[in-house]
Amino acid sequence: MSRLHDMGGRFGDGSIPVPRNDENEVVNFEPTFKYDWHARAWAITLAAGALGEWNIDVSRHYRECLPPKDYINFSYYEKWLAALVNLLIDKELISLNELKEYVSAAKNGTIDNIIEKEIILDERAWLAKDVQKTLGWGGPSIRNVNVSPVFNIGDKVITQNYSPNKDINGGHTRLPKYAMGRVGLIHSYNNNHVFPDKNAHGLGENPLPLYTVEFKSLELWGELAEKQNDSILLDLWEPYLKHFSN
Amino acid sequence: MSEKKNIVDDHHHSHDHAHSHLPSDPELRVKAVETLLLNKGLIDSKTLDELIDTYENRIGPKNGANVVAKAWVDPEYKKRLLIDATSAIRELSYQGRQGENMVVVENTPEIHNVIVCTLCSCYPWPVLGIPPTWYKSDEYRSRTVREPRKVLLEFGLSLGPKVQIKLWDSTAEIRYLVLPMRPKGTEHMGESELAELVTRNSMIGTGLPKEIK
Repeated sequence: MSRLHDMGGRFGDGSIPVPRNDENEVVNFEPTFKYDWHARAWAITLAAGALGEWNIDVSRHYRECLPPKDYINFSYYEKWLAALVNLLIDKELISLNELKEYVSAAKNGTIDNIIEKEIILDERAWLAKDVQKTLGWGGPSIRNVNVSPVFNIGDKVITQNYSPNKDINGGHTRLPKYAMGRVGLIHSYNNNHVFPDKNAHGLGENPLPLYTVEFKSLELWGELAEKQNDSILLDLWEPYLKHFSN
Repeated sequence: MSEKKNIVDDHHHSHDHAHSHLPSDPELRVKAVETLLLNKGLIDSKTLDELIDTYENRIGPKNGANVVAKAWVDPEYKKRLLIDATSAIRELSYQGRQGENMVVVENTPEIHNVIVCTLCSCYPWPVLGIPPTWYKSDEYRSRTVREPRKVLLEFGLSLGPKVQIKLWDSTAEIRYLVLPMRPKGTEHMGESELAELVTRNSMIGTGLPKEIK
């Protein structure tokens, strides 16, 4: 079983919301943020993440763990905000009482009255002067560890046939269900990367070999594949894979 | 699965979903959380402004277009780009968050590359900025891996039956950029002129560069 975020290959979704102009031509430009609150939700998520209380895998898992009816009904940045609030509470950066207080102030229009004039910044807070430097570094997931890859380029492999997170029931993984139990070829080895299945649960980074694996459309979708020779390539960690022999 | 003893439950939510206390209007929701974090000194409003300004005005698909145009005019650069995209892109000072490990995939008359993230919304920020709404939509995430040709038609892109699609699902921290084919009749054009032809969608694989009239 998986969760709603794992939607690759799902049936039932309609047309892609491709923006078009009055002449019905595809428009490549759209504003970075459609509404101001999108920008705010995005920015406070990045800034709160910089406090160092969680990593990218934890934050992805929190979005995935939203109840299915919220996941499906929330727009993109509503998911971000909901997951952020759950993280802030779980990591005890804010309390539920504080949240309720600010929510009622926002609802009854008095929130601007409670904005503090003199704010003492937490020592972990991300300062504006450091923004460009920190963005420039990013958060590389490659680790220089002495782990040799088991598979070679061209090896035939089969993916695990169940949610491969063996430690955590319902835990985070990056093997989509549409590619579970399927046979593909190792296309490339991409060094050792932090393993999300552990890192999302505070179980350490556990860096492991990451491969790009190529699957034929026929293998993933069967005879109904749009064009059987098309390829789908996924980046998969070693524990998701086993040698395959006919 | 019989090894139940090894399985622990994923119960790091010690509460019953705090987010359910938020107001229904998303604007108020953000305002409440933002004000709380600001008052507690956990975030700084100047940092928020700097972040938003950076991705609204400085980091976006123009960066990727410059990379593509350089690869079109400079065969040595293109070689470096296809071997080690992260380093080659860094030559143009584009680097960092959500582009720490870049791979550039080249379109040819036989192969057309398309980028998707079925599990979330992974996207190469340093060269393309923040993803457009359609890239993050359920429709694009669910359908592209199964019926890429139908999806591309909705973008007005029709591929011949001889063209093979390579679809890259960004399931790890590698970020992909498509190197589209240089349009015909552009031999006389320089790098900056060429960069104007490179659309965002052409670098995701859901479009082609503009043709010259």
